Amino acid sequence: MNESTLFLITFILYIVSTFFYFVFLFSKKENRAKTGYTFAFTGLVFHTAALIWRTVESGHAPFTNMYESLSFLAWASILAYVIIEKKFKIRKAGPYFMLIVIALMALASSPLMPKEATPLVPALQSYWLWLHVSVTLLGEAFFAIAFITSILYLVADAKEKQGKKSNLPSEKLDSISYRCIAIGFPLFTLGGLVFGMIWAYKAWGSYWSWDPKEVWSLITWFVFALYLHTRIVMGWKGGPSASIAIIGFLAALFTYFGVNYLLAGLHSYA
Amino acid sequence: MKSIIKSLSSVKLAIVLLIIITLATMLGTFIPQQRSPEEYIARYGQLANLFQRLQLTQLYKSWWFIALLFLFSLNIIVCTLDRFSPKLKRTFRPRLIVEPKEISVLKLNDKLRKNMDLQTAKKEITRTLASRHYRVQETEKENKTFLLARKRILGWFGADIVHLGILTIIAGGIISGIGGFKRSLTFNEGNVHDIPRAEFKLRLEKFETELYPSGAVKDWKSTLTVLEEDKPVLKKIVEVNHPLSYKGYVFYQSGYGWNWTNPSVEIWVKKRNDPSFLKKIELNLGQRIRLDGENIDVAVLQFIPDFVIGEKGQITTRSLEPNNPAAFIEGWQAEEKIFSGWIFARFPDFDRIHSEKETDLAFELKNFKAGQYSVIQLSKDPGANAIWIGCAVLMIGLVFAFYWPPREIRAILEESHNKTEVLTGGVATKSKDAFKSEFEQIVNTIRRSK
Repeated sequence: MNESTLFLITFILYIVSTFFYFVFLFSKKENRAKTGYTFAFTGLVFHTAALIWRTVESGHAPFTNMYESLSFLAWASILAYVIIEKKFKIRKAGPYFMLIVIALMALASSPLMPKEATPLVPALQSYWLWLHVSVTLLGEAFFAIAFITSILYLVADAKEKQGKKSNLPSEKLDSISYRCIAIGFPLFTLGGLVFGMIWAYKAWGSYWSWDPKEVWSLITWFVFALYLHTRIVMGWKGGPSASIAIIGFLAALFTYFGVNYLLAGLHSYA
Repeated sequence: MKSIIKSLSSVKLAIVLLIIITLATMLGTFIPQQRSPEEYIARYGQLANLFQRLQLTQLYKSWWFIALLFLFSLNIIVCTLDRFSPKLKRTFRPRLIVEPKEISVLKLNDKLRKNMDLQTAKKEITRTLASRHYRVQETEKENKTFLLARKRILGWFGADIVHLGILTIIAGGIISGIGGFKRSLTFNEGNVHDIPRAEFKLRLEKFETELYPSGAVKDWKSTLTVLEEDKPVLKKIVEVNHPLSYKGYVFYQSGYGWNWTNPSVEIWVKKRNDPSFLKKIELNLGQRIRLDGENIDVAVLQFIPDFVIGEKGQITTRSLEPNNPAAFIEGWQAEEKIFSGWIFARFPDFDRIHSEKETDLAFELKNFKAGQYSVIQLSKDPGANAIWIGCAVLMIGLVFAFYWPPREIRAILEESHNKTEVLTGGVATKSKDAFKSEFEQIVNTIRRSK
């Protein structure tokens, strides 16, 4: 048994979970969704073990290169999903959400991502690494759920306008999106911006350098701030709200991936 | 003036500004910032001039971006104040007396009759509400009793607290921009630097680079001493992530470099015809050493850390990193030069030695030692504290805004023939579902009470 075996078992469990969720989607048998959930939850347990294993083995936080951070993001996403599923029963979002998780796991295991744990460069040797990255990625995981429920909202809304009924009503999806953002936004603010500024001040000598990654996390924050203001103050709901939530997640995704590959800056490690 | 304030208090303006600022911020990540004019011309051709004129090449410091932020701040201030005084009034001097109509239009409302007199009914209701942490206020008018029960009122101010935090952060940014400054100080071991705009000095005692077994850098450590009137008052090892703070100045480990003016090199001397022959010599630049038993003197005249032959055939260094170290050596027999040329640490089999006289000696550049200097970044950032306070306020505000949902329940009690009619209704702007079930439980408790 080692970390990569645990990772593989996790990946297989997630795939099986996705399979059952899709069977549920087409057969409408509630029990299949429950099986899917059980597999996802078991996967989460193995995934947690894999992350702990890696931390012990490498001696540092399990998100210092792209492989590690993708795996951690997948873990945070499942964790967020388990929480939201327990609270709001959004089984129908399960299959689509699991697809995102599978995509993250597949990217992490692609041969392009170096797997070996390398010793930390001086700038990353700080406990702020734990706080900054884990809280930010957890916040982004909730944005990911809001992204799925917002897309499902747009689909359900179009269906309802044609007079069809969907078993997860659009109104509920709209409210779940909001709840996810209400959890994700404070986490992202704390982890991404506040902890990020504190760490930047300790490591680089200034809390804000207009580095592309900083700027894009600010843009992500602006988009979700826009979501909240249009919704709470101007009373927007439904379609427009869902569109902003989708844009917000795409901005978060760009902050996470795009900036690393397209824009050079201080955050060159991951 | 009034119309200006009115338009500044509009949320629509705030949203338009937020969108514009977001788009402008994005633009700044696609046009590289603060590069040389030549780079912009190479990249954008004729557009370069326009970009520079619109300050797109230093967008975040451009007057128009700062003006946008200023307008946005003003907008936040006016919007917040505009909503603040009605909220204060609602908090501290709430309207207790309401028309029954105002309650019956609420989404959550109920009407019930208790078989008890008004005082007893009021006591029952108040107790039920208080057990759920509601603060109850009451008043009477025309035989009716009005109850107002509220909890988590601070939640109303969540957004205001968030805005206050953001404004504090912006203020901190302005203070940093005006009063902050940064310098890079380059220290060799033993160097002392005056600190600009301050009375004290700083001395580098020792600089070390720690490596992992793989050769990658683990840490840079500068041992720094603060000198007040040339007397040491504080000593600290500064590493990345562990700066030194002193009197409002912060000193960071920001870089390092090699000091190539006086390196020493280790050279292995071998004989082509005699594999067992090996002599190791260590010498400084310019130093001449006698090879034992060989009647030959060896000298190192030049050392280049990153050897490369330039376009015109000249020998130069590509960088200051020891990527391709090379040494120029000479061999002398008495006063006669017998060979000279370059040897390379990375390519021991390749040398460029010209021999004037036949010799079977071979030279390998085995190792080199050079001092390293430490680059310490000094920064004084008077806005930083405002930033941390702003961040804390912002987070507190977010918690109140999202996780402290205020709730309000009103009731009108009226007695007739020893019975009491109760009209009650509740409002919550957030987490309405949870409030709905609480409201229903409260009404049920009141209904069942005897």
